[in-house]
Amino acid sequence: MQPVVHFKNVNKSYGALTAVDDLDLAIEPGQFVTLLGPSGCGKSTTLRMLGGFDSPTSGEIYLEGKPISHLPPNKRNVNIVFQDYALFPHLTVGRNIAFGLELKGMQHAAIHKRVTGLLSLVSLQDHAERMPAQLSGGQRQRVALMRALAPDPNVLLLDEPLSALDAKLRQQMQIELKSIQQKTGKTFIFVTHDQEEALTMSDVIVVMNKGRIEQMGGPDELYARPRSRFVADFIGQSNFLEGAVVSVSDGIAAVEWRGNVVHADVNGTSPVPGERATLALRPEALYCLSSKPEGRPALKGRVDQRVFKGAHTTLTVALENGSSLLVQIDPVALSHIEGDDVWVGWRDRDAVLLAN
Amino acid sequence: MRTYFNDLPKTALGASYWIFAVYLVLPLTLMTAMSFKDANFIAFPIGNWTLSWYAKVVQDKQFLEASLYSIGIALATTVSATIIGVWIALLVSAENIWGKAVIFALACLPAVVPGLINAISMRIFIRTVDIPTGTFAIILAHTVHAVPFVVIMVLTRLRSMPANLVDAARDLGADPFIAFLRVTIPYLMPALFGGMIFCVLTSIDDFVRTFFLGGYQPTLPMLIFAKVQGGMSPEINAMATIVLVVTTAIGIYAEHFTRRSRS
Repeated sequence: MQPVVHFKNVNKSYGALTAVDDLDLAIEPGQFVTLLGPSGCGKSTTLRMLGGFDSPTSGEIYLEGKPISHLPPNKRNVNIVFQDYALFPHLTVGRNIAFGLELKGMQHAAIHKRVTGLLSLVSLQDHAERMPAQLSGGQRQRVALMRALAPDPNVLLLDEPLSALDAKLRQQMQIELKSIQQKTGKTFIFVTHDQEEALTMSDVIVVMNKGRIEQMGGPDELYARPRSRFVADFIGQSNFLEGAVVSVSDGIAAVEWRGNVVHADVNGTSPVPGERATLALRPEALYCLSSKPEGRPALKGRVDQRVFKGAHTTLTVALENGSSLLVQIDPVALSHIEGDDVWVGWRDRDAVLLAN
Repeated sequence: MRTYFNDLPKTALGASYWIFAVYLVLPLTLMTAMSFKDANFIAFPIGNWTLSWYAKVVQDKQFLEASLYSIGIALATTVSATIIGVWIALLVSAENIWGKAVIFALACLPAVVPGLINAISMRIFIRTVDIPTGTFAIILAHTVHAVPFVVIMVLTRLRSMPANLVDAARDLGADPFIAFLRVTIPYLMPALFGGMIFCVLTSIDDFVRTFFLGGYQPTLPMLIFAKVQGGMSPEINAMATIVLVVTTAIGIYAEHFTRRSRS
């Protein structure tokens, strides 16, 4: 399938600062794609270049196969939902949504029909005559979304649109956004620094760092198989174990780590015995037992700290080899209190080797 | 009563404000009162009241002509000052303009240059470039004087405008001109309105510049000045009262409008 959006070797620099570094990104139509990364990683610049508010220093952006870098924003069939919504304060909700349609020269009756239809999609049909200042944050968000969808763009761009909402409303809007995306079948490109938001909504997540793509893939893939330390750290929590590769067999690497031999999935890397390697380990992938298990690898340690977090409890376990691991356990488990001796281990495939 | 003495500074401030207010309003009140006096000389007691001076004023061809002339000049000044002022404000608010501070300082200069100096320099200027004294020269001088107020008001409003608004309009298919017309201008409306009222009032009020640059046709302030030289009369009081009422009404309406659109 032809990608709906294609960044080809796109660079963007502001003076000495490189915001986007040789970006090569193809986005399939009809997907919910999230650009995820910390502030300054180039995700917003990427979005602004696609919207037409910044132009690449070099490289080309293709929309449905046609180069668009030279086109002004009003000549591109993409629309943006801005972070602060940017609703026109002097126009009613209905006129805000109609703005793009009027500029397309659509007939008055057709505009009215389309605006009403869009408003009812988000249950705001009674609010057409209100002014933006009279709406709540969530309602403004919905109006901004409908205004951007009104001209029927091929691709909808969303620039951290949920960041101004409170936690509850944000979760509700995440579900709503996803369902609107599925209903309309349009390509959504969503920019955020919030990994939970990205995991909840996306078909594909593009993790960006320092203007480059760190890793791209489905949410579950990125979570379970992070390829770099950055991704393993940015999405969820990870323990990082640095050691030297001892041997590799059947996709499992044995790594010497502080006097112990531990195992991890090679995770697409090709480790060479003797080389240094880092493995990442999710706190919830670890098991924690009161006595040494039979036939399973385990390291001895002592519970240093126990934090109750509601849905789960996290332990900081100080190991005998001098390091400590973060372990997530069932909250109802009453054992493993501070000072207890415990045995900590994991299944070989639950740890992953990271690319150097 | 005791509290008055306990809080002396506050009492003193309050009292001095009221003294100031009386000082402000009393002359205007006297002038207005005299305009209703049925006698030719200005002195108390008033005795008989009359509207005849007003009847005389509104039938006074000179007065009506001068009023219309003043209003015409004020409108022309407002249009040109608003266009120039908005243009300068946009220029100064743009991100990458060389010499921004200089442009702004030059635009605001006429607000601080004394009117007399301004008038004399304009007089020398128009003679040098061969512009005759008269309507055009007056409008020129009034515009220069009014521009800074438009610039400052529009600039203040522009700075509070979210940058994304124009981007949103562009994104939805507007070219730069349409975006300016349909988003920027409506957003600036309260400031534009306030600035325009200010232009009208300063233009109608101006005497010094008009005096130096005017031709034979008198504006309202010049007419009143000429009449005062022939001695104060209740007719002048009536004229001044009309001007006072009209300008106050415009001022109050403008204040009301900007306050409403701000909320």
